[in-house]
Amino acid sequence: MAAPRTRPLYGQAILLIAIMLLCVFPFYWMVTTSLKTHVVALEAPPVWFFEPTLANYREALFEDGVFRSLLNSLIIAICTTALALVLGVPAAFALARFEFRGKKDLWFWFITNRMISPIVLALPFFLIARNLDLLDKHITLILIYLTFNLPIVIWIVTDQFRGVPYDLDEAARLEGASQWTIMARICLPLAMPGVAVSAIFAFIFSWNELMFGLVLTRTNAKTAPAMAVSFMEGYNLPYGKIMATSTLIVIPVLIFALLASKQLVRGLTMGAVK
Amino acid sequence: MKLRQFFGTTALTAALAASAPAMAWSLKEAAAPYAGTEIDVVFLLRPGYEAIEAMLPEFEEETGITVNIIKHPYENALGEQVRDFVAGGDLDIALIDLVWIGNFAENEWIVSVDEIMEKYPDIIDPDLDMDDFFPLVLNAFGGWNGTIYGLPFDNYSGLLFYNRCMLEEAGFDGPPETWTDLKDVYGPALTGDGKYAFALQSKRNETQSADSFARVIWPFGGSFLDADFRSNLMSEESQAGLKFRQDLMQYMPDGIVAYDHAETVNAFAQGDVAMITEWSAFYSTVVSPDTSRVADCVEIAPEPVGPAGRKPALGGFSLAVASQAGEAEQAAAWLFIQWATSKANAGEYLERGGVPARQSAYADPALAETYKFIPALVESWQDGVPEFRPRFAEWPEITEIVQEWGTKMMLGEVTTEEGAQEIGERMEAVLEDAGYYSGDKPLAQ
Amino acid sequence: MRGRVSRGTILAFIGPAVVGLAAVGIAPLLYALWTSLHFFNLTKLRRVEFIGLENYGTVLTDPVFWQALGRTMTLLGIALPLQIGLGLGIALILHQPGLTLLKTLARLSLVLPMATTYAVVGLLGQVMFNQKFGVVNQLMGGADINWIGDPTNAFVMIVFWDVWQWTPFVALVLLAGLTMVPGEIEEAARLETSNWWKVLRHVQLPFLVPGLVAVLILRTADTLKLFDMVFTLTRGGPGSATEFISLMIQRVGFRAFDQGLASAQAIILLIITIVLAQIYIRVFYREV
Repeated sequence: MAAPRTRPLYGQAILLIAIMLLCVFPFYWMVTTSLKTHVVALEAPPVWFFEPTLANYREALFEDGVFRSLLNSLIIAICTTALALVLGVPAAFALARFEFRGKKDLWFWFITNRMISPIVLALPFFLIARNLDLLDKHITLILIYLTFNLPIVIWIVTDQFRGVPYDLDEAARLEGASQWTIMARICLPLAMPGVAVSAIFAFIFSWNELMFGLVLTRTNAKTAPAMAVSFMEGYNLPYGKIMATSTLIVIPVLIFALLASKQLVRGLTMGAVK
Repeated sequence: MKLRQFFGTTALTAALAASAPAMAWSLKEAAAPYAGTEIDVVFLLRPGYEAIEAMLPEFEEETGITVNIIKHPYENALGEQVRDFVAGGDLDIALIDLVWIGNFAENEWIVSVDEIMEKYPDIIDPDLDMDDFFPLVLNAFGGWNGTIYGLPFDNYSGLLFYNRCMLEEAGFDGPPETWTDLKDVYGPALTGDGKYAFALQSKRNETQSADSFARVIWPFGGSFLDADFRSNLMSEESQAGLKFRQDLMQYMPDGIVAYDHAETVNAFAQGDVAMITEWSAFYSTVVSPDTSRVADCVEIAPEPVGPAGRKPALGGFSLAVASQAGEAEQAAAWLFIQWATSKANAGEYLERGGVPARQSAYADPALAETYKFIPALVESWQDGVPEFRPRFAEWPEITEIVQEWGTKMMLGEVTTEEGAQEIGERMEAVLEDAGYYSGDKPLAQ
Repeated sequence: MRGRVSRGTILAFIGPAVVGLAAVGIAPLLYALWTSLHFFNLTKLRRVEFIGLENYGTVLTDPVFWQALGRTMTLLGIALPLQIGLGLGIALILHQPGLTLLKTLARLSLVLPMATTYAVVGLLGQVMFNQKFGVVNQLMGGADINWIGDPTNAFVMIVFWDVWQWTPFVALVLLAGLTMVPGEIEEAARLETSNWWKVLRHVQLPFLVPGLVAVLILRTADTLKLFDMVFTLTRGGPGSATEFISLMIQRVGFRAFDQGLASAQAIILLIITIVLAQIYIRVFYREV
């Protein structure tokens, strides 16, 4: 039994390692490039061993304001995620538990927002924000990010609420509990995994967003991805510094994603596999 | 201490202003009423800006004005500023590429120099000497419709950078005098073994229109528009230029349509390309051993001559006071602009890698030994084509069209005729919309 | 049976989300609709005028718009089958027994590409695919391939990164589908035939369909939205080789400043998106 299995196992192992290498190699290259001086980064063919320097990080963080943009991204991502949960969880509860007319259309409308290209909203939202004097403010991005965060929360959490047995509600209602109590005390604890998953997604999507950040901010609320793009002057491409900034943006979200990977994978399947 | 000093200076200024306006002017005193003012300006990530940034502490200390520099890559700078001005944002100074001036002036986003002089007579440096700017540069970078808005700040002319060592090795003792020679004589001799005679930065952004497209139509007698503002791209001369570019591509590296300035300068600095036509501002990059492997071989000449003469690329930026700024900010902004472009600072600016537009700065013939680009630069600025790229408000729309179809031409996806036809039709549609053909708008470019 | 609750309660639960999303989602759309019916150029705000459907006429007859849309669909048509094929392969490997540690590690590394900032993927692409100092050419045995400057190669490069970033997503979704196949049924099938394809086709596939549908919906939507990675990698070039629909609209609206025309383009894109989403969701995804 064991003998015939060894062979395919070797093949499998090789394939698995190849997959891992493919996934990880770009990050390896990003980090090593970020440790190269300008001259070394532009060497052709590229070098794999060199004397590393932290100068790119020093420059990016302390001279070019990347630190502040990371902070902005963090504030915005946390706030918009929280807001999406506050608005989305009750709505999801209603969609899962109550019967009312137009429910299907409403659900569809929520979900459709997830599909809309940000460019559709970026242009008019810029003009509105300009009239309301909301340009370059954190709150503007926190609000506009709802357009993709709210659908995610509603999609996943509705699913999750639907998985909570209805008998529990019924019992509580007989004891005179209001719908709010039922949601908060009975269903929410059981739906917590789904809520956590949607929060993780909302956070990652917000952290990674570029277009709105580019159009709606200038300096005060500039987000990290918008910052990374702003080094691309056609005069000289400071690849070391660009990669240092990229690393600073990507590493936190990767660590976060790895820590939450179980929930993340579950979330993918939650919205997807039903 | 500080307070007393402050009192002292204000009293002094007041006394000066009241009694003897002709007495010696000083930046410190002129700026005293505006100490503590903060002004915002967009800068690019280029040598001229770094030069002023390095000199800035001196200005801030002298005046008590704080200059907030917001850095953007060139490709975002127009969009950022337009959005700021449309939104009534906080920029106090406009950074104006010569092709944006019509746009900014017609929208009244910027204040003319005359208006500043009238509104804030006390802050005008008696040594401002507008006549000392190269007239071509002042008019092209800072002027629109006969009014001067901006003072030339980051100034460029196209130059031929060549690698003397490579040329000598191939048996040439000097650079090509004409574009035709560059292609027919120097091209074949210098191309081969992974080396190329020439590289023409042609990426699909402003580089395509300014550095590539415009650079080949003018020397051959072509132009974007004829006297009636109709497309002149189908003319024999414009077509000759565009066809010349197609032919010349065989002596350029592959993928030249993806080359921006950085790639082009780097190819030259690595010794892979023998000649490039680039802005004067790159001089410091190609002669510095930190960024160039051919530093000792670099020589500079004016751009080659075409059948229609020498028509070097012209480009550059001026700084103007923004009309959306408050009074104190406007005054402070002017003081900064005036200082950054002043005669007195031109020498230091040059030393730190900037290229001033002051004639007096180049008067010393000894400078040409340190800065080899000076003779060619001064020659280019004597006489050039201000409308090298039309400077009217419609340029941002038109340049997008030129970029798209210009690169398609180079890639061979359309012929030069088809491409020119497309650009022509689309360009005329934009101009029609703008009201040039109905007589609503004067034909200014 | 299910909740007979008062209208007030329903409103209280769902109202805030509707109002919130309407404020940030619908208000801008209405404004875009208004803009699209006007000559509205950011640098000519003094000349805003009503021009009816002229912008729409311009968009619908402009080959550049349709080419960008066609290019976007081509990308989807090439990348999505690759993602599904590779993703299915990875899912099947991960689903096999044995090598637990290695598989856990592989699953973890699959999470990484998905979470990566899209703009950074493009920047990374610039560094890795550079013709001269890029590591990709070096790894291909010192090849001299001009990735960024050649229209076909640039497109291939975009496909590569799209596949790199989203195959893991497909793999993990399909893996979840595979684990939902009841163990005894799969065992029984394997005893009957050693042909993995038959097992896949008759036993596992039904469990994969919902996941595949979700992948189809999300990838279609995300391809129509695709902007960040291409913007930082090729900016749509060389020529128009990688100018996808969202990039094109961005160019018209924020570089040529013609917001009226860009709004018309955006609204047409929106209609296309909604129609596609309707079709997908109504046909495949029966929920609520």
